[in-house]
Amino acid sequence: MNLKFRNKKITGILTVLPENEVNFDDEIDNYDFSRAQSMKLKLIMGYGKRRVVKEGTAVSDLCIYGMNYLFDKGLLKKEDIDGIVLVTQSPDHFVPATSHIIQGKLGLKQDMMLLDINQACSGYPVGLNQAFMLLDQEEVNKVVLLNADMMSSKVSAKDRGSRPLTGDAASITIVEKDSNDSTIYGTINVDGTGAESLIIPAGGFKMPSTPETAKLQTDKNGNSRALDHLVMKGDDVFNFVQKQVPPMIDNLLSKANCDKDDVDYYLFHQPNKFMLKKLADKMGVPHDKMPHNVVENFGNASGVSVPTAITFNLADKLLTESFLVCIAGFGAGLSWASLLMKLEKLDFCEMIDYK
Amino acid sequence: MENFETSIAELLEEEAVGLSDELQSFEAWDSLTVLSIIAFCDSEYSVPLSAEEIEGSGTVSGLKELVESKM
Repeated sequence: MNLKFRNKKITGILTVLPENEVNFDDEIDNYDFSRAQSMKLKLIMGYGKRRVVKEGTAVSDLCIYGMNYLFDKGLLKKEDIDGIVLVTQSPDHFVPATSHIIQGKLGLKQDMMLLDINQACSGYPVGLNQAFMLLDQEEVNKVVLLNADMMSSKVSAKDRGSRPLTGDAASITIVEKDSNDSTIYGTINVDGTGAESLIIPAGGFKMPSTPETAKLQTDKNGNSRALDHLVMKGDDVFNFVQKQVPPMIDNLLSKANCDKDDVDYYLFHQPNKFMLKKLADKMGVPHDKMPHNVVENFGNASGVSVPTAITFNLADKLLTESFLVCIAGFGAGLSWASLLMKLEKLDFCEMIDYK
Repeated sequence: MENFETSIAELLEEEAVGLSDELQSFEAWDSLTVLSIIAFCDSEYSVPLSAEEIEGSGTVSGLKELVESKM
């Protein structure tokens, strides 16, 4: 589905990283593989350092910490927030919605819209699309998009495929009305027949967690995980991304009447270095226009990976310069979405450590 | 397909491979090699393969036939 938004803009992006840093080299002996195999995997996939939350930290804690940072620095005023869109797959509770916990703890006004969206790796463009839609309302002038996930606790310590690339983080993106007669182009697509390509089988209402669902089972590749853990069919996901993402971007650019070379940066979800390089090659995009360094420095924190790529790679530039960027997310659902928009002269663009 | 064996040999970190060689007999054979083959067949021949199909193809020639059948 093609979307189009008039007179909307992003005015600030903050990434909040949990303080615990885990190094792949220290974890290699957890996996039932030779050291040589693991080192090869590290090199190709870009495994390195990743940030994970300490036990007891929740998604709301990361978001509240970041919001308070913005209030304290005078970068955001409580009374200006007309809506919050929270995209997460790791809510504090099943009931109530985590956005409400955040609104309450921050003491925000009651006259506002709160919306929780269950999306994973496409969560940044999906959340932005939703935030732009809210801004079409007359009384909505400023929306806060929160992306936050902490899936590190849901990947098995003995799953070499998913564990070394999974990180935790939160991001805050401020979205406002714009008077510059700008147009933002977007797309959203879904395929629920691929629901099992990325899934946590147990722990919801359909299959509650029991001692049985916590038992580890070893697959034919030598990875062990339980039904309580995230399971990713790596080959399915790879093929899905290679098949769907390039035509999605071609379509987006043609709707916007924009040439592939006119895009300054392709800010894509960060599954791993391997997949992003293959994607850039297939699309004919130079590697330096598509950053792929988030997984090796912070881990893949689902929908937070795009804002992390932005704040890590473009922080200083975006305060003074203007870029045409193509944003894309793709993952669990299956779901894939994209945006073509200008990012320029942000009020803030930075990363902070959660304490 | 003329460079198929050479490319597969490279992915398997071997000097050369024979058509009758069993895929799983190679020292470098693991899930990462399978993923490399998926990526190679996708970019080189625009043929999407699943890990299961590759593992089920048995030998180098079996893999070659699998790719050809989908071209």
